[in-house]
Amino acid sequence: MAPSSGRVPEPESRKTVGINKETVSNTVSTDFPDNYPDGDESWDKDWFAQNLKIEFHQNDDYEAQFSLIGVDASIANAFRRILIAEIPTLAVETVFIQNNTSVVQDEVLSHRLGLIPFTGGKEGIRDWMKWWHKPVEGADQYSTTYDHNTVQLKLQVECTHNKDAAPDEKDPTKLYHNAHVYAKDIVYEPAGAQEQYFSGDNIIRPTNPDILIAKMRPGQVIDLEMHMHKGIGADHSKFSPVATASYRLMPVIKILKPILGDDAKKFQECFMPGTIKLEKVTKQHVKANKEYAGHEGEVMAAVDNPLYDTVSREVLRHPEFEGKVKLGRKRDHFIFSIESTGQWESDELFLESIKTLKTKSQKLQTQVQNMVYTYSG
Amino acid sequence: MSREAYQIPTSQGAGGPGAGNAAVAGRAVDNEGLPMLYICGDCGTKFPLKRGDTIRCIECGCRVLYKERTRRMVQFEAR
Ligand SMILES: [Zn+2]
Repeated sequence: MAPSSGRVPEPESRKTVGINKETVSNTVSTDFPDNYPDGDESWDKDWFAQNLKIEFHQNDDYEAQFSLIGVDASIANAFRRILIAEIPTLAVETVFIQNNTSVVQDEVLSHRLGLIPFTGGKEGIRDWMKWWHKPVEGADQYSTTYDHNTVQLKLQVECTHNKDAAPDEKDPTKLYHNAHVYAKDIVYEPAGAQEQYFSGDNIIRPTNPDILIAKMRPGQVIDLEMHMHKGIGADHSKFSPVATASYRLMPVIKILKPILGDDAKKFQECFMPGTIKLEKVTKQHVKANKEYAGHEGEVMAAVDNPLYDTVSREVLRHPEFEGKVKLGRKRDHFIFSIESTGQWESDELFLESIKTLKTKSQKLQTQVQNMVYTYSG
Repeated sequence: MSREAYQIPTSQGAGGPGAGNAAVAGRAVDNEGLPMLYICGDCGTKFPLKRGDTIRCIECGCRVLYKERTRRMVQFEAR
């Protein structure tokens, strides 16, 4: 291990992806040992701990945005993939259709029901609920079905005429009862010990009660039951705990030469709002950069918050800005965006993804050790 | 065998979880004891028909009748 004392950070230029007019350069990370004659790039735990940073920009229940700074793309991508495909949730897996005379075919209806996100008591879903396994060939269909691995739901709706509707009513939702079947019509049926985990505020319920499942007309009936099981997104995306989990690299905007007056306003409009600010040139600016001399009091463009930029490269299309600006992205600064489907809170999801990666690494560690023991005689 | 004596075969028998794990209720087959209703192809009225009755709607006289969908459970994977 390299000594962490005296180690200098990698220069910004080596950590920046170049965004040019027609090309993207420097895309690959270079911070590995013996790549540069100066400095030691070997991985060091203390150095990593010192330089790792996480900053939250937004942290709502089901929507979070934060910066993960100081990790390699492989690690950030591992978190993203774990978030999408490896954190378990409950979803409808089997549908028992007693009757369905709506225009939505049984198969399509079942598929739609599977994709509805549900939520409920966290302790019950995460710790108490276990995996459901398919019974072995020949065994009873329900021999592996218990209260601790299956959640029962019921959907029983019949569309009827509304006697109280105005005679000239045209709106089907007023003319009939249950013309629209929504996710909120699904009823949870507690079984066994589920009552203690899924009652009151913790009841199993659709996250978005207004999801439209089917439309019906008088005389049509939907009568079905559902079994929910735990699963992971790798098996089917209905089990994915996130609607989106993605990251982008932090944009870098470097103004190389002064951009003044009307050009500054045009420059500002080349970026998303909040990216570029307009300032008055002050004595400090002149002192810091001689190129501002004689322009005191004029309007100049300055970088405000590059986080908001979409890196559209619009600015590179205008000849008046040629050579005045350099665009790039920080290769080790990941702006994560996690939108939860409701069973987890967004920030919990990120922590869970770290936990999952840790568990996987520990499994790998023992296997590597076994491998070493086996081949070292 | 007469039409009335015919019994709908049930593949899963009682259709419930095995003994000792009755935590989650099974599926009950409840298609017995209901009269067979027919649906008029014209006006949509539902009415029963006995053997020997003329195939005709009791409301509008339409001769096109449909059978109701079976109440037997059909199982699907939500995928
Ligand atoms: Zn009729």
